[in-house]
Amino acid sequence: MALDLSMFGRFAKTFRKNEIIFCEYEPGDTFYLIQTGRVQIVKIMNEIEKIIDILQPGEIFGEMAILEEAPRSASAIAQDDVKALEFNRENFEVLMQGNPQIALKLLKLFTKRIFDQKRRFLILTLEDVQARVADVFLMLTETQGTSLANTEQMVFNTTVDDVAHWAGMPPEACRKVLNHFVTQRRLDIYPDRIEVKNINDFARFVSSRRKHQVS
Amino acid sequence: MPKSVQYKANSIVYFKGDMNENIYLLKSGKVVLKYNDIETGEEINDIIQMGEFFSVKSSLGKYPKEETALVKQDAEVLLFTAPEFEQVAMSNTRIIMKMLRVFSNQLRRIHKQVSNLLVMGKQENPETGLFGIGEYYLKHNKLIQSLYTFRRYLTYYPSGDFAAKAADNILTIETRLQSSGGAAGGTSEAKPAGGEGGGGPSDAAKVYYNGISLFSQQKFTEALSEFRKILQTSPDPEYQAKAFFEVGRCFFSLNDFDKTITHYTGMIQKFPKHPDLLEALFYVGSAYEKKKETDKAKNFYSKILSLSEESSPVHRKAERALKGLEG
Repeated sequence: MALDLSMFGRFAKTFRKNEIIFCEYEPGDTFYLIQTGRVQIVKIMNEIEKIIDILQPGEIFGEMAILEEAPRSASAIAQDDVKALEFNRENFEVLMQGNPQIALKLLKLFTKRIFDQKRRFLILTLEDVQARVADVFLMLTETQGTSLANTEQMVFNTTVDDVAHWAGMPPEACRKVLNHFVTQRRLDIYPDRIEVKNINDFARFVSSRRKHQVS
Repeated sequence: MPKSVQYKANSIVYFKGDMNENIYLLKSGKVVLKYNDIETGEEINDIIQMGEFFSVKSSLGKYPKEETALVKQDAEVLLFTAPEFEQVAMSNTRIIMKMLRVFSNQLRRIHKQVSNLLVMGKQENPETGLFGIGEYYLKHNKLIQSLYTFRRYLTYYPSGDFAAKAADNILTIETRLQSSGGAAGGTSEAKPAGGEGGGGPSDAAKVYYNGISLFSQQKFTEALSEFRKILQTSPDPEYQAKAFFEVGRCFFSLNDFDKTITHYTGMIQKFPKHPDLLEALFYVGSAYEKKKETDKAKNFYSKILSLSEESSPVHRKAERALKGLEG
């Protein structure tokens, strides 16, 4: 055990409150496991700093760096004083072998990422922009864990910019589609939320467009 | 305990869309996973190898099965619940490592597919993006974050398009942090040097970042004279050390390799704990390499290898340089 601890000590890093751990666009070759404190994942979109996630001790972030040294897709900022273990591709295997819990956690994180990316891919392959926007709401419904059969009206705490991001469209184009849905009385846009009147209607619409596309 | 289940040929272990947390291990017989390729829509049949787990991803990720598992020849399958699987995996990390490798390949692939579709949209170049974030934080008065970002910018793009601007901004932020005193309590680096009042330390910072800015514009002689000014006049130990390192970089960039070597050898004696000591050694090695004194260059690169952690950038740089000399 003593060996394990000393090994870990070498990889421990501390960050003061508000300190940037890494910044969006920075090349990344490390990922982190939070030991104490919370970490905000933020992204600046259209001149607004948006908190995408707040991570707790025990959670992993920056893990895409294991795959390739691509630029970071978001920034990580210490919300409290943070202590975290820093890994990279070189020390990663050794650490994983000694710590199956971390490895398993990472495995689960990967399954979630793969699923999210596949879902995103399906949205992006829709040629019809209206279907694409509607499918973003279906995806958001799925991630909320709500079953379509039980509900009609759905409230999403999301903004036009978010929807545009998921749909891979410029915000103006996305707003146009959403406004069209508003005139059709299929949804309402509020500053802090978007309400879809009948999510099943969107599901049917997307599914018919997808079939149409395949045939 | 995992249960053993027998399946007849042509039966189904699970259908695409099924929701459960079962994980299977094929003991004997033949099972294929049928699904449609996400890109082409083409039907794919993956044959499960004997001893291979399947249905792991959807089970661990708690989402619907992505494929139909069809039995081709009578098969014996071990059925694990998610907790049972986790227990087995934890006691045999090789299983997890193997899956991590498989999953990370899949993730890499789907990531590429997604970004290919997004290329049509806007894609910010990382250099402009990084600088833009620094500007955003500066505009919103988040000085510590802004300082971090501009410093990173200069680290990655010392002669980038915005290097001069970044150096200017760093200077402005440092001055502002200094005048606001306690508010600076972010990183230790963000702390203004000195602090005994008066303009002394901030003068050193001003000259230093002006030097960095000149260097990034490849005006090495002008930069050199700025850094020398600090060495001659500033009492601030932080900027003394920083400037000393930069002087060596100027010599190297001016192709004055003898001076580079003497200067950095001096630095090792003068600042034995300098944070950029290994970088300095690397410059000495590179200077010898330029002088075609390969053996000496190799000595310095090897020294870096022995003094640095394998994961550090300077270690990798030295490794690459050594390979270059030997190859």
